[in-house]
Amino acid sequence: MEEVKMDLNQEIPSVSKKITQESINQFESCGILDRQNIHNNPELAKQRLGFAHPLASGRMSVAFAAESLRKFFGPEVFNHTGTVNLKFLRPVKNGDTITVTGNVSHQQEIDKGTLVTVALFCENQDQDRTAIGNGTAII
Amino acid sequence: MASQGIREFDYDKLEIGEELGSYEYVLTQEMLDNFRLAVDDPDASFPTLAVKHDATAFAMVYEDNTGGVNAGNEVEFFNPPIPGKTIRVTGRVADKYLRRDKPYMVIEATAVDEDGRLLEKLRTYQMKKPDEVGKKWKK
Repeated sequence: MEEVKMDLNQEIPSVSKKITQESINQFESCGILDRQNIHNNPELAKQRLGFAHPLASGRMSVAFAAESLRKFFGPEVFNHTGTVNLKFLRPVKNGDTITVTGNVSHQQEIDKGTLVTVALFCENQDQDRTAIGNGTAII
Repeated sequence: MASQGIREFDYDKLEIGEELGSYEYVLTQEMLDNFRLAVDDPDASFPTLAVKHDATAFAMVYEDNTGGVNAGNEVEFFNPPIPGKTIRVTGRVADKYLRRDKPYMVIEATAVDEDGRLLEKLRTYQMKKPDEVGKKWKK
């Protein structure tokens, strides 16, 4: 059995991102289909959700969590063995600031090394949780 | 990029395991740069997150006038995509279920590049009654 390399409860580097409608639109524009949706079209957000404003894609929070985990594990590890699993709890919109934090919650020896699990939390500027979940990598 | 016949989405007719659109596209350096700008991360390695492989595969098959709310994402990272390479995506319906009387579908996509490198596996949990989520989130 290989040596365990992380301390339980060890914190990962936090990442904070200011969300603007411009950044939301930029994210949506990265797709290969030119699609209107609840993220880039206020009318659709109103029609489908009853919101007066578009919402940021949850996948933006996935990208933020991936950044935090990549900085913790290193790109050579995370970009080849990493996972992100998020459940979205609250909407994220223009003007919000999303902060990702996390800590090592579990480790398990497996054939390829040690599978490290990190508990992930995304909070807005009001300290409301917008997403929770976990990330993993094999070290 | 190949497309298939588009049909109107009907949750009741959706079948677990059914194939969604399969398609190819070339990841450009511009796409990578735009993604990094959108998420404010100069080292972000998976612009595929913003391409939304699974949702794109779904949109290539279904005309969905109901829309949906992303309840969660699971992503596995295997290898960062390389600009200039063609990415091949296959999608499928992984699951569908009712939870608290709300209809959910789970769609997933796998991406490999032209050299056969596995890049990413992505799964999205989508609630197909977005007005209900809108009411909850507005509280």
